[in-house]
Amino acid sequence: MTADVDTAMAHAAPPLAPGAPSSTRRRWSRLRAAIAVLVTQLAILIVFLAFWEHATPKNSAAAFMFGSPSAIAGFLGQMVRDGSLWRDTSITGMETLLGFFVGNLVGTLIGLSLWYSRFVSRVVEPFVIALGSIPIIALAPIVIIWFGTGLISKVAMSTLSVVIVALVTSYKGAVGVDPDQINLMKTLGASKFQIFRKLVVPASLTDIFAGLKLTVGFALIGAIVGEFMSSSDGLGHAIFKAGSLYVIPKVFAALVVTIALALVLTFLVGKIERLLMPWRHHV
Amino acid sequence: MMAQPSIHATTAATSGGTVPPLVVEHMAKSYDHHGRIVPVIADLSLTLREGEIVSIVGPSGCGKTTLLNTLCGLLVPDTGNIRWHGREVTGQPQNVGYMLQKDLLLPWRTALGNTMLGLEIRGLAAAEAEDRSRALLDQLGLHGFADHYPSTLSGGMRQRVALARTLVNEPDVLLLDEPFAALDFQSKLLLENDMLALVRKGRRSLLLITHDIEEAVSLADRVIVLSKRPTQVKAAYEIELGSDRTDVIALRERPDFSHHVRRIWADLDVVLQ
Ligand SMILES: Nc1ncnc2c1ncn2[C@@H]1O[C@H](COP(=O)(O)OP(=O)(O)O)[C@@H](O)[C@H]1O
Ligand SMILES: [Mg+2]
Repeated sequence: MTADVDTAMAHAAPPLAPGAPSSTRRRWSRLRAAIAVLVTQLAILIVFLAFWEHATPKNSAAAFMFGSPSAIAGFLGQMVRDGSLWRDTSITGMETLLGFFVGNLVGTLIGLSLWYSRFVSRVVEPFVIALGSIPIIALAPIVIIWFGTGLISKVAMSTLSVVIVALVTSYKGAVGVDPDQINLMKTLGASKFQIFRKLVVPASLTDIFAGLKLTVGFALIGAIVGEFMSSSDGLGHAIFKAGSLYVIPKVFAALVVTIALALVLTFLVGKIERLLMPWRHHV
Repeated sequence: MMAQPSIHATTAATSGGTVPPLVVEHMAKSYDHHGRIVPVIADLSLTLREGEIVSIVGPSGCGKTTLLNTLCGLLVPDTGNIRWHGREVTGQPQNVGYMLQKDLLLPWRTALGNTMLGLEIRGLAAAEAEDRSRALLDQLGLHGFADHYPSTLSGGMRQRVALARTLVNEPDVLLLDEPFAALDFQSKLLLENDMLALVRKGRRSLLLITHDIEEAVSLADRVIVLSKRPTQVKAAYEIELGSDRTDVIALRERPDFSHHVRRIWADLDVVLQ
């Protein structure tokens, strides 16, 4: 019968030839499209910066009000030289990472485990919605009273900004699992825990990672808001101090660093996603 | 593979007195649809004998999927009883394989990983589970594709993996719900042939739900026709198509094949909507 099946399969499914010409060609055209996007993005950025620079001559009122790319670059250079760039970035980065990690860990664990019990999740739902609607900024004074003005209060702010989103996205992923798939697991004799571990958790990864990407920004905002309220270092503090001294290019310089930090963190999450979900990039 | 011929061969040899793997008696099932009770299965009895292949055909929406889900313990019947090997079972029956039109492969597992799922759940040693799964994938013509993710496989190949995932657990009884309905005609015939060979060789019993009358006739020893909802058995036919039932393509050429098909078609009483 083996021989029969083999000839049968020759009709049913021609073996995929690895590295067939069409696949290399497709990879090329995808690369070209990516380059075109990047070039256009750079062009927009350059035009924008050139216009900004041109519209704000040195020592003009406009330069004072809006700063200018060259002035911003000057402050960036100064921040690198006096070491504040690295110090502020690493402090804010640390707060953000800790808040991101703790918030997502706690939120995801709760969100996924709510899958276990419809009853519990229905009891919890209005509370989650209520907590999710609290503007985190409003909590900042309380957080500082509770946790002091050090690292912990910023991590707490960052965690609070993340945890509800992580909870909701992971719960959504868990309850969105195809019921037929769950039935199949049951007919294979799986226990509830096996269904959870072998089906629900991996199936929720897509939603969990969507949540992770979203919460990078929230974690950063939480940390910076915490620093605004009370701090002696970090990017939020640098922005706040420069702002209160009307040194607008320095505000922008610190913002540029903040954006760069957000981009790096988002990139890292994407890398981890690729690492943990290889099947999605295997086509 | 499928190393259990001895037991089955002997029970088959001494057949007659053996308990059928599946007996359904006067089963009824209804749904509660927004507070309104909708009867789906009115009164249904059937027997699946050992090594027998039974096809169930019936108008769409008559409750075939409901029947199958009830048989494998995913739904609870309102009345009647279901006996597996003579015993009533609560929850999932043992040694029953279940397969749907949707392949339901886990996208994060390779073909091999998907095939091993049931063995893994039952706690079989990984090495043995892998050996058995690889061997079965080979037999189903998927040699060299064991380490592919489902997203890189064709529809026909994915359904082959789903079949491997079902068969690797060596179920006594297979419950298949329109398993080939989504496939193109050629893939379907080839997969039917391969499935038939494996089922017959392992002396497994098969309950096959299909809306494809030709598929039902070419594969089954018996075809049960269900009525419209609320569902009952409308008719049952023994399909006598000679002793060699291994080649579904050749079977379709026989004159008595189209005779069976026409009779069942008439029974189904299909009206254009
Ligand atoms: N969970 C459910 N709740 C209410 N009605 C259902 C449910 N599942 C199926 N039905 C209804 O029961 C009938 C039979 O469905 P099904 O068993 O899927 O039919 P078939 O598989 O024969 O096409 C259909 O009319 C369908 O609308
Ligand atoms: Mg159906």
